[in-house]
Amino acid sequence: MATDRTAEVTWHGDLMSGSGRVDSVTSGAIGGLDVDWAARSEDAQSKTSPEELIAAAHAACFSMALSHALGQAGHPADELKSSATVTFQPGEGITKIALQVAGNVPGMSQDDFRQAAETAKENCPVSKALTGVPEITLDARLEG
Amino acid sequence: MARGSGAISAATGAFSELPYSLASRVERPDGKTSPEELLAAAHAACFAMSLAGELAGAGTPVEHLDVHATITLDQVEDGSHRIVASELLARARVKETDADTLNRLAASASEGCPFTKLIEASATVTVNAILEGDTDGD
Repeated sequence: MATDRTAEVTWHGDLMSGSGRVDSVTSGAIGGLDVDWAARSEDAQSKTSPEELIAAAHAACFSMALSHALGQAGHPADELKSSATVTFQPGEGITKIALQVAGNVPGMSQDDFRQAAETAKENCPVSKALTGVPEITLDARLEG
Repeated sequence: MARGSGAISAATGAFSELPYSLASRVERPDGKTSPEELLAAAHAACFAMSLAGELAGAGTPVEHLDVHATITLDQVEDGSHRIVASELLARARVKETDADTLNRLAASASEGCPFTKLIEASATVTVNAILEGDTDGD
């Protein structure tokens, strides 16, 4: 089944001095998020940006893919803490994404965990949509 | 994973502890976000900024711009899920422009948005723009 998710953004004025807002999304989970060019390209000042939203999407997608793979392998994770850091170079675009995951997975070796994380990084739908990013790195480790 | 769940937070603090799960991703959202919804928000914001820049560059800065981005996740032949489409729709109130010019600038704005280029690796991106409100009437 195909799933559609919509987001609505409003903007006033030009790029450099104007401002916008992520007003709403299908689920209602987020809304009222201010965005502007200065916050996107310089200091965030508590404002989100397209790249931060991509980071959230990628970390969430990666976590789901890894959680699925670990469950299939008979080692369901107690907890996965993932992060994605997206680097935006104005004029160039997204130049790098750094994924990190710390997992609490009973009965699994570091090597097997790293391998499962590498596979999740390659195969999650957001990774597939971001294959054009020049560099995507992964740091995966078990905790405890 | 089918019964697990997670939470998403942003480094800027702009949003935090957003719940998500597989069911909310591929079935009904039930108030939960998903990676694709966050990408839709990213694409809408990226395209809105790019179009605002294009319109200002053409000497016709936008007064009010409303952008919708809809991202479609679908199961493909091998059974895996892929992001297959992102549809951009802009409604713009701009003085002294016409629908053709707006559509041309919108196409160019999508190409200029870094996220469009990336997502085209897996998805078809479509762009539509509607001119709203006061125009010069010609």
